[in-house]
Amino acid sequence: MKAVLDPESFRLIIPSQTRYLNLVTGLAKRASMIAGMDDATAAKVSIAVDEAITNVIMHAYGGEPDHLVEVDLRFASTALEIHIWHTGRGIRDDQVVLPDPREYVKHPRKGGLGLLLMSRFMDEVHFLEGSERNECCMIKRVG
Amino acid sequence: MADLSIQVREVDGMAVVQPEGFINAHTVRQFEGALEGLVKEGKFTILLNCQKLSYISSAGLGAIMGLIETVRENQGDILLCSLQENVFAIFDTLGFTQLYRVFGTEDEARQALAGKSE
Repeated sequence: MKAVLDPESFRLIIPSQTRYLNLVTGLAKRASMIAGMDDATAAKVSIAVDEAITNVIMHAYGGEPDHLVEVDLRFASTALEIHIWHTGRGIRDDQVVLPDPREYVKHPRKGGLGLLLMSRFMDEVHFLEGSERNECCMIKRVG
Repeated sequence: MADLSIQVREVDGMAVVQPEGFINAHTVRQFEGALEGLVKEGKFTILLNCQKLSYISSAGLGAIMGLIETVRENQGDILLCSLQENVFAIFDTLGFTQLYRVFGTEDEARQALAGKSE
């Protein structure tokens, strides 16, 4: 992942509650359009953000509503970077196992699709564990 | 406007479920409850009319997936129609368009079920 120097960015901090998901996804969609994406691409970015924050709320924080989720949207020259920070249970890239959609179709079951949507709809998805907080970073390139 | 409202009606022996708004982790229980209610009533052929569905996340897809075996075991099915572009992209990306019959309109779905056309 390339570091971006001095990007324009803004930050939103929400409680770890699903009622705020739509607020963030709406913001991510508008930000994607400001970054230069078309409506269909912006919709995909907003879905990826929904999935990422849902994972934080439901899995990293175990559904506990009294934590914080920090969302940072950075406008780079050729991409929109979305950084999602939390202090719950973290994962690393090497722990992520994406379901195989072909197997999924053959053997339908509940769950496991959010990460797949994130990986399909974004150009890069990374999970990073830090000493104090953990991060999900997603990048969508423009053009 | 509510995050999600769900209209349920019966057409030609088929339950038509028309969600309006979005289905994600916040609203999925409402959606799941509507589908489970139909199954409990013995209505196993369900058409999801997605004309007014702005988006569906994996939570909503899981709700559909959780009932597909039950309805098919009871000679029913879950059909989809009138998907907006971004909703179709979600279903298609995950291969759900191979799992579910997708129709352009509610009329097309009704005709297919009646055996008039495929």
